[in-house]
This record gives sequence, structure tokens and C-alpha cells, in this order.
Amino acid sequence: MTWGDLSHNTLVVAVGVAAVGFASGVVGSLCVLRKRALAGDAAAHATLVGVAGAFLVTGRRDLVTLLVGAVVAACAGLGVLVLVRRLTRTRDDAATAIVIGVSFGAGIALISGLPAWGYPGSAGLEQFLLGHTAALTRHDAMLLAMIAVGAIAVVAAILKEATLVAFDESFASATGWPVWVIDAIVVGLVAVMVVVGLPAVGAVLVTALVVIPPVAARLWTDRVGTLVVVSGVIGLVAAVSGVAVSASQSRLATGPLVVLTASMLFAVSLVIGPRRGVVARRLAGLQRSDRRGLVDEPGGHDA
Amino acid sequence: MPWRLLCVVAVASALGCGGSRPMPTGGVPRVVATTTVVADLVRQVAGDRVEVDCLMAPGIDPHSYKPTPRDADRLASADLVVAGGLHLEGKLAAILERLAARRHVVLVGETLPADRLIEAGGGLFDPHVWFDADLWSHAPPAVAEALGSLDPSHAVEYRDRATDYAERLRALDVRVRERLATIPVDRRVLVTAHDAFRYFGRAYDLEVVGVQGTSTESEAGLADINRLVDLVVSRRLPAVFIETSVADRSVSALREGAAARGHEVRLGGTLYSDSLGTADGADTLVGAIEANLTTIMAGLEGTR
Repeated sequence: MTWGDLSHNTLVVAVGVAAVGFASGVVGSLCVLRKRALAGDAAAHATLVGVAGAFLVTGRRDLVTLLVGAVVAACAGLGVLVLVRRLTRTRDDAATAIVIGVSFGAGIALISGLPAWGYPGSAGLEQFLLGHTAALTRHDAMLLAMIAVGAIAVVAAILKEATLVAFDESFASATGWPVWVIDAIVVGLVAVMVVVGLPAVGAVLVTALVVIPPVAARLWTDRVGTLVVVSGVIGLVAAVSGVAVSASQSRLATGPLVVLTASMLFAVSLVIGPRRGVVARRLAGLQRSDRRGLVDEPGGHDA
Repeated sequence: MPWRLLCVVAVASALGCGGSRPMPTGGVPRVVATTTVVADLVRQVAGDRVEVDCLMAPGIDPHSYKPTPRDADRLASADLVVAGGLHLEGKLAAILERLAARRHVVLVGETLPADRLIEAGGGLFDPHVWFDADLWSHAPPAVAEALGSLDPSHAVEYRDRATDYAERLRALDVRVRERLATIPVDRRVLVTAHDAFRYFGRAYDLEVVGVQGTSTESEAGLADINRLVDLVVSRRLPAVFIETSVADRSVSALREGAAARGHEVRLGGTLYSDSLGTADGADTLVGAIEANLTTIMAGLEGTR
């Protein structure tokens, strides 16, 4: 298939998903550096409540309405996460698990309850569970791309501060950086990316798009700036190849394929990544023992 | 000790409910139907001799309908249960199967001539049998028989009404065939949201293509959308259709894809598929098929 043969729908889906993939990778790298990977999952699972709630309140099913509901719910879920952590002495992992479980349960209950309240057209909402990429329209894709560009711009603006907060929180706060503001922006961005990823890969898989690319990118570089870009590229490549595979055969859902491609890229990085890949580390280890064998070098190992 | 006694009583009364039971004490028999289509069938045969309780409201998609505990109660307390069968009610199938051991359950689709069912792969059959009006005309007798054994004093009446209704269905069959025959051959393609119209297509010589598979549970991949756009554009189809019980986002994507290739395809309108309507007329199967016929004719007949 050459570019000229690409159908309108393939192009629309590719553009939409590529934008989501790239931006998720970029935003995800901040999130992973700040050790907030699971916050994305909490936000993702909370979105279902928002989708169902938006439909219940407005009676509309267009993407914008539902996604606005999802953003509100994702932010609310993250707010609850922070509150639970602060007010009770629950640890981060337990608090996240609580938010995931409660919000996902509430979302599923709402969606499955819609017919009982006399809403016939609720069948479509279940698509947000696993995504429904193939049905993206040009308008949807433009919307996703615009939000993606906005998210990337915000990351570019706060990258320096966010890096400082991620690596040395106490130094950052000692020098007067408002740590909580940076944290709120990072987590807010994650919430937005998760919501944008909803139509593409669905609530269950969307965290993978935020987490896998930066973790894979980390195997290629030690520099934050490079990490952010490489992570975005990995997200983009995963998105486009997932779409390509899905377009090649009947009845292949796009969302899961995107996530699978991302995992494959991670596996490849794990083996050949020049920074922390298995091969690189083995080589470094060999060099070290070689050196040790030849000259008795004091303190001859690098940090 | 009283506890154990209670258990024995409970088991005994549960057993007592089993088997074919004659009429309930006083009152009219209560029949629970799963979908609006089946409920209509029961009403046509029973008239107002029985109380028909329909589990799914109009517009509900039976493939993804999840039974509530209250539904289970309604089913368990019915004198007769009538369902579409052939895995139409995907998530009710297990309950219906268990119920069949204790209650009289009619799975309408499974009473029809097996050689006229359309295979849907995996040893299953396409459950959307009611759109072939002639095939559906074989359904009333089975319902009449079940009603007759429940309420023997009116058995003859049920049988007469069943015969009468079957005749009306056959007349409808002829009418639909005649009208659709006027659509030019190259435009006889019905593109809908999900594959609910294969019987309709076979009976009335229309090529039928669903964006989703036979059940609404499967999802259209990108390749499926692309294939449909090709079909719509190459055949210059004037219209595609949506259904009352299925989401229409895939259909929007399909229309947009065709438009990008210079072929405007209209939204032909909404078809009744797995559920009947509430509008006057469309709340019976005959009315819904007539309404579909009007919609399809208007969509495919237009010169484009």
C-alpha cells in the first residue's frame, strides 16, 4: 500500500492516533520521571463515569460532550486520589487502587444501568471501554490533534521546572519552586492525554500509551530533553504501525494493536537500547571485568 | 431443626413449581417475552387473553442486554417464557437454558424450519429471522401450541388467531417483495450499522452489508470501514441506513470516507432492527417492516 492509496478513513485515523501517540509519549515522560505512572491509570478508569455522566446530563452522544465529561471525571478522580493520600495515611499504591476500583465500578454500573432508566441509545458508550478508533471522523481527529499540540506546548513550557521537581523535590521547593503547581500541571496533562486517548484505545488500555513509550525511551538516553522527544516518537511509531496493521485485515481492532506495537518497541529497546539495554549493560560489564583483569585500577567502575 | 424443616419446605415448593403446570389460580396467564419482536408475536396470537410482559423496552439492543435480578424474578414467575432464541439474547441465554428445565420456554427461532436458517459460523445461526415475513409466518403455531397447553379452554382460539396472523405475514411478504422489486438491480444494496438484515436480504433479493458483524458486540476495524467505503463508492449507492438500537458513529465515518472520494451518500434513515418502535404502527412487527420498507424505498429509489 502506498501513500496514494490510503483511504480517507485510514488517513483520518492515522493522523488522530499518531497525534495521541506522540503527545502521550511526551506527557508520559514527565509523568514517569515524577513516578506518577499509575496516576494515569486512575484517571483513565475514572473517565467512564464522566462519559456516562455527560450523556445522562446532556442526553448528547457527540465526542466533544462525552470527552468534556471524561476530563471532569478524570480530574475529580485524581483529586480524590490526592485527598485520600493526604487525609488518610493510605500509601500511594493503595490509594490509586481504591480510585481505580471505585471509579471503574461506578462507570460500568452507570453505563449498564442506562437502559434501565429508559435510555435506548446507550450501547455506544461501551465503546469507550476498548476504544472505537475506526469510527473516528475528520472532525474528531482534528480535535484530538489540537489537544495534542496544546499538551506538547505546555510540556515544552514547564519542562525545566518539572525536571527539577522530578529529580530533586526538596531542592526545588527550597529554591522557591511551587512543587504542587508543577505536580498539578503534570497530573492535569496526564488526565487530558488519557481522555484524548479514550476514543483511540479505550479506558482500559490508555495508560499503556502514557507509560510504555517513556519507559522504553529511558533505555535509549539519559538526557531529559532527548527522553521526551524519543518517548513521543516511540508513541507515534506505535500508533501509526498499529493503525497500519489494523487496516491490513478485517476485524482487527486498532486500540489493542497500538498498545501491542508499543510493547514490542519496549521489548526491542530493552535488548538493544544503548543506555540501559541488556546488551549495552552486558558489554559494559565485560569491559569492566576486562579492565579489572588487566590493570588493577582503583575505583575503576563508573557510576 | 426448624431451619432444616424450612429448607425442606423451600425445596419442595421449588420442585412443586416445576413441570408443565395447568393454569394459575384465577386470573389470566402471564407470559414473559424477551424482546419487543417476540412480545408482538405473543400478542398477535394471544389477543388480550394473556398478560404479556416484555423484558426489553423498545430501542434496547438484545445482543448486549444484561439481565437484572428483577428480570430473573420476572422470568421465574412467568407461566410461559417466549424468547427469540438462536443466541439473540446473548447474555440471557444461560438463564433461559436453566429456566427451560423448570418452565415452559419457547425459543421461537428454534421452532422454525432449520433448513431455512442462515448459518453465522461456529455452529450458530443468525437470529434475526423475523425480517423474512414468510419464514416468521411459521412462528405463530408454536406459540399457539404453548398457549393452548397453558390454557386449554382457549386452545382453539389461539390456533385460529395464529393461522390468521400467519396469513397476514404471508400477505406482507408478497407486498414487500413486489415493492422492492422496483428498485434497480445495481442499487439493491442495504448498508446498515450491524448485520441484522441477512434474512431480509435473502428473502427479498437485496445484498446486505453490516458495518459491524451479526452481533453488535463485535467491533468494526479500520479495514472493514475501508471495504465498505469502496463498496458504497463503486456501486454509487445513494443511501446507507442506521438502526434504532445501534450506535451510528461507524456509519458517520463511512459517509465521510465516501464523501472524500466525491460520492455523497445520504443517511437513508433509521431502520427498525432488533427492536420495534413506539411510534404508532411501528410497535408491531408488521408495522415496523412496513416502516422499514418505506424508508428503504425512499433511500434507494431516489435518482442519484
